[in-house]
Amino acid sequence: QTAPEIRWRLASSFPRSLDTIYGAGEHVAKRVAALTDNRFQIRAFPAGELVPGLQVADAVQNGTVECAHTASYYFVGKDPTFAFDGAVPFGMNMRQTNAWLQQGGGRDVLKEFFATYNMVSIPAGNTGAQMGGWFRKEIKTVKDLEGLKFRVGGFAGNVLQKLGVVPQQIAGGDIYPALEKGTIDAAEWIGPYDDEKLGFNRVAPFYYYPGWWEGCLNLSMFINKAKYEELPQLYKEALESACRDATIETMAKYDVQNPPALRRLIAGGAQLRPFPRDVMQASYKAAFELYDETAAKNETFKKVYAHWKAFRDEQYGWFRVAEYSFDQFVYAMYGQEAQARR
Amino acid sequence: MGALLGFSRAMDRINTSMGVVAYWLVLLAVVTSAGNAVVRYAFSYSSNAWLEVQWYFFAGIVMLGAAPTLLRNEHVRVDLVFGNLSERKRLWVDVFGLVLFLLPAMGLMAWMTWPFFLDSFQRMEESSNAGGLIRWPVKLILPVGFVLIWLQGLSELIKRVALLRGIRPDAEVVTEYHRPDQ
Amino acid sequence: MVTLEMMPPLMFGGLVIFLLIGFPVAFSLAAVGLFFGFFSIELGFFTTAYLGNLPFRVFGIMSNELLLSIPFFTLMGAVLERCGLAEDLLEGTGQLFGKIPGGLAVAVVLVGAVLGAITGTVAASVIAMGMISLPVMLRYGYDMRIATGVIAASGTIAQLIPPSLVLILLGDQLGKSVGDMYAGAIGPSLLQISLFLLFIAGVAILQPHRVPPLPPEALGPRGWPLYWRVIKGMVPSIVLIFLVLGTIFLGLATPTEAGAMGACGAILLAAINRRLTWPLMRQAMENTMRLTAMVIFILVGSTVFSLVFQGVDGGIWIEHMLSHLPGGQTGFLIFVNIFVFFLAFFLDFFEIVFIVVPLLGPVAAKLDINLVWFGVLLCVNLQTSFMHPPFGFALFYLRGVAPKTVLTRDIYWGAIPWLCLQLVLVAIVILWPESVTYWLDKGTGVDPGSVVIDVPMPDMNDEAAPLIFK
Ligand code: NA
Ligand code: NA
Repeated sequence: QTAPEIRWRLASSFPRSLDTIYGAGEHVAKRVAALTDNRFQIRAFPAGELVPGLQVADAVQNGTVECAHTASYYFVGKDPTFAFDGAVPFGMNMRQTNAWLQQGGGRDVLKEFFATYNMVSIPAGNTGAQMGGWFRKEIKTVKDLEGLKFRVGGFAGNVLQKLGVVPQQIAGGDIYPALEKGTIDAAEWIGPYDDEKLGFNRVAPFYYYPGWWEGCLNLSMFINKAKYEELPQLYKEALESACRDATIETMAKYDVQNPPALRRLIAGGAQLRPFPRDVMQASYKAAFELYDETAAKNETFKKVYAHWKAFRDEQYGWFRVAEYSFDQFVYAMYGQEAQARR
Repeated sequence: MGALLGFSRAMDRINTSMGVVAYWLVLLAVVTSAGNAVVRYAFSYSSNAWLEVQWYFFAGIVMLGAAPTLLRNEHVRVDLVFGNLSERKRLWVDVFGLVLFLLPAMGLMAWMTWPFFLDSFQRMEESSNAGGLIRWPVKLILPVGFVLIWLQGLSELIKRVALLRGIRPDAEVVTEYHRPDQ
Repeated sequence: MVTLEMMPPLMFGGLVIFLLIGFPVAFSLAAVGLFFGFFSIELGFFTTAYLGNLPFRVFGIMSNELLLSIPFFTLMGAVLERCGLAEDLLEGTGQLFGKIPGGLAVAVVLVGAVLGAITGTVAASVIAMGMISLPVMLRYGYDMRIATGVIAASGTIAQLIPPSLVLILLGDQLGKSVGDMYAGAIGPSLLQISLFLLFIAGVAILQPHRVPPLPPEALGPRGWPLYWRVIKGMVPSIVLIFLVLGTIFLGLATPTEAGAMGACGAILLAAINRRLTWPLMRQAMENTMRLTAMVIFILVGSTVFSLVFQGVDGGIWIEHMLSHLPGGQTGFLIFVNIFVFFLAFFLDFFEIVFIVVPLLGPVAAKLDINLVWFGVLLCVNLQTSFMHPPFGFALFYLRGVAPKTVLTRDIYWGAIPWLCLQLVLVAIVILWPESVTYWLDKGTGVDPGSVVIDVPMPDMNDEAAPLIFK
C-alpha cells in the first residue's frame, strides 16, 4: 500500500510578524512533510489570509480548513473550558502543563470536549511564562488597580475586573496611541521578544512581571476530526511528532531570544517591576473564586477543572522539593554575583 | 408583471425603512463612541460591552444599509464604459449584473451565514472579553442583511425588466448614476 | 488545460473585465471570486468546503473596530460641509493675504491645511472651499485654471495631514500603529504645503496677472478689526481641531473615538451657529450610512475575490513576481509607485488600499523596507488619485459646486501642475526617507550589552522557612 498524497491548509491565529509563534505552525508543516517524504503537505497561512485569527476554531469545526494553529483561550466565549488547553491565571508552568497534557491525562479529559466541536487538539508550541505588561504608572498596592484601564483579554480580564480593573479591549491599531497619551493605563502582550516589536517601552515604561495569567501558554493545533480520522496511521504519527517537536522548538526559541530582548528593552527605557505581593495574593484568590463560580454553572468546566486542579496540587508538592530548591539557590547565587560585579 | 411590480414596491418600502434604522444607527454609534471616551476619562469607568456595541451598530449600518443603497443606485461602479452608454444599454448591464453577479453572490452569502449564526445561537456564544456581549445578535445581522439585499436585487431586476418592456413601474427606480461622495 | 499557475493572472484579467462592465464594484468583485471559485472546484484546486470560509471573513470585517472611523469622519464631513464653518475662516484669511498677488491662493492652501487637520476625508474640504472661494477668486480676476487647481489640491491635503482615514486604513493593512503613521506623515504634509506655497509664489512673480491682489475697494478695514475677524473665524476650527487631535493628545479618546468626538463637535457647532436643522441632520446621517455601506460592501466583495485568490496560491505568485523585480528596494519602490499611480486612474483609494496594498505589504517587508515610510509614501501617491483627470474625485466634487462658466476642461487642465507637484513629493519621499522617519521615535541610545538583568527575588523571607514534609 503506497502512502497517498494529502494537501492541507493551516490557518494560523498569528500574524507572520510574530515569527516565534507563527513559526511554530510552519515548523509543524515542515516536519510533517519531511517525515512523510513530502506526501503529506500542509501550507500555513498567517491570520487573516484565509480566515481572521479569532475565527479559526469555527473554520476547523466546519471543515473549511483542515487545521489551525492557535491559542485555545481565544475561544473562552464559546466555552470557558477552552482555557485549560491554553492557559488559566495561576495555572501551571510549561513543564507541568506539558506533563498534564501529554502524560497526566489532560488531553484525554479534553478529548470529549473538543469532539463536541468536531475537533482534535494537539499541543504544538509554548511561550513559557509571560510578562505582566506595560504600565504608565507604578502599581504599589492592590488599591492602585481601582479604575486602572488595562487592555487585557480573556480570563485575566475577568479576574482583574473583580479587583476593580477596567478591562478595555480597544482596537489593535489604537493601543499604541492610547497607551502613549494615557487613554488607557496599561496593556499586556507576550514576553520581551514579541513585546519589543510593539515599542510600548517608549510610552509605558513600567514593565511588570510575572504575567501570572499565563504561567505558560500552550499553543494548539486544532484539526477537523473527520479529516484527522481519514489520515493514514503514518501521517497521524508524523503530525503528532511534529507538534511535539514544535513545542520544544518554540520554547527553545523564546528562551534564547527573550534575555537579549529584555536587555534591549531595558536599554530602551523599560523599568522592570514585580507585581506587589498583595496584588498577587488578591488576584490568586479572585482567580480561584472565579473557577468555582464557573464550575458551578458549567459541567464540562467543572470536570476538567477538578482533574487539572488535582494534577496541579500533586505537581506543586513535588516541584517544591528538588526543582524549586535548586532554582532558588542558583538564582540567589547569581544575584549575589551580579551585585558584586556592579 | 403587475404582481411582480407589487412585490417590488413592497420590497422598496421595507428596505427604505431598514435604511432609516441604519441611519439612526450612525448617530447611535457616534454618540456611543464619544460617550465611551468621555465616561472613561471622567469616571475611569467603561466596559467591554460598550466598546463592543459600537461595532454591533457598525455591522447594523452596513448590513441594513446596503439594500437601501442599492435602491438609490449608490454602490460605486467603474464608469469608464458605463458612463457613456445609452439608458437602454445601462438597463441591460444592470439586468445582466443582477442576474449573474448580485443574486447568486448574495444568495450564497445568505445561505452560508445562516449556520454561522445558528451555531453561535445554539451554544449561546459570548464575547471572550471580560464583560463583553452575547454574540448571536450581531451574527444574525449577516444573513438578514444578505437576504434583504438579495430581495432588493430582485426588486431592481423587476423594475428594470419592466422598463425594458416599456412599462413605467410606478415604483421609484433610480437609473441615474453619480459617483458617491467620499 | 488550465493549471494552478495560470489561475492568478487569469483572475486578474477576469477582474478587469468584470469591473469594466460597469456593474457595482462590490458585487462584481464577489462575482469574479465566485466564478473562479467554482472553476477551481471543477478543476480540483480546492473543494466546496473551502468557500465556506467566507462567513468568517465577512464577520472579521464587521468586527474590525478601526473601520468605525469611516462613518465617524464621514458624518463630521457631511455636517461641516453644510454648516458654513469653512466660510467664516476663508473670508477672514482671504482678507488677511488679499493685498499681495497670489494672496487668495495662499489663503486657500492654508485653510485647506487647517480643514485637513480637522477631517480625515477629502470631500468636505473640497466642497466647502469650492463653494466659497471659487466665486471670489473668479470675481477678482484669478486665472480659471489656477483657481480650480489650488482648491482641488488643497482639499487633498486632508488625506495626508493627520487625522486621516487613508493613513488609518494603510496602517491597518500594513500592520503598523496609527500613531506611527500619523507621526510619519507630518514631514511630508509640511513639505507639501511648502511646495504648494512655493508654486503660488512662483506664479505670482512670473505671471502676476494670473493671481492678482484684491482691488483696494474689496479690502475691508485693516488692523485690529481684521485680526479680530480672522480670530473669530478661527475659533470653530480650533474647537474641532481640539476635539479631534486634542482629545487624542490629552488621552481622552482613542484615534477611533476622536472621529466620533469630532462628529459630535461638528453637530454642536452647527447648533450653536443656528444652522442645525432636521433636514440637514437627516441628510448627513443618510449620506454617511450609504457611504459606509458602499465602502464596506466593496470589502465584502473583495474578500470573496481574495479568498479564492489565496486558494489558487495567488499570494505566492505575487510574491514571486514582485520580489524578482530588478533593482531590489529602489526598483520595487519605483515599480510600485508607477503601478499605483496608473491604477489610480480607474480605481479609487479604497479599492487600492484593500485590494493592492495587502499584496505589496509582505513583499516590502521582505525587502527590509520600513513599512511606516512605505505606507506614508503610498498615501502621498494616493493623493494623486483624487487629482487625476478624468476620474479624480476632487475634480468631481469641484465640478459639482463650480458655476457653469467654469469649463470641465479648465478643471482638468488646472489639476495638472498640482498633480506634478504631488509627484515631486513622491520623488522627494523616496529619495529622502528621513522626511518620514525623522518624526518617528529614535530610542534612548543606551547599549543593551551594558545592561545586567538582576531583579530582587520575590519575598525570599517567606521561603527561607524550612519546608516540612510529613
Ligand atoms: Na499575555
Ligand atoms: Na486630515
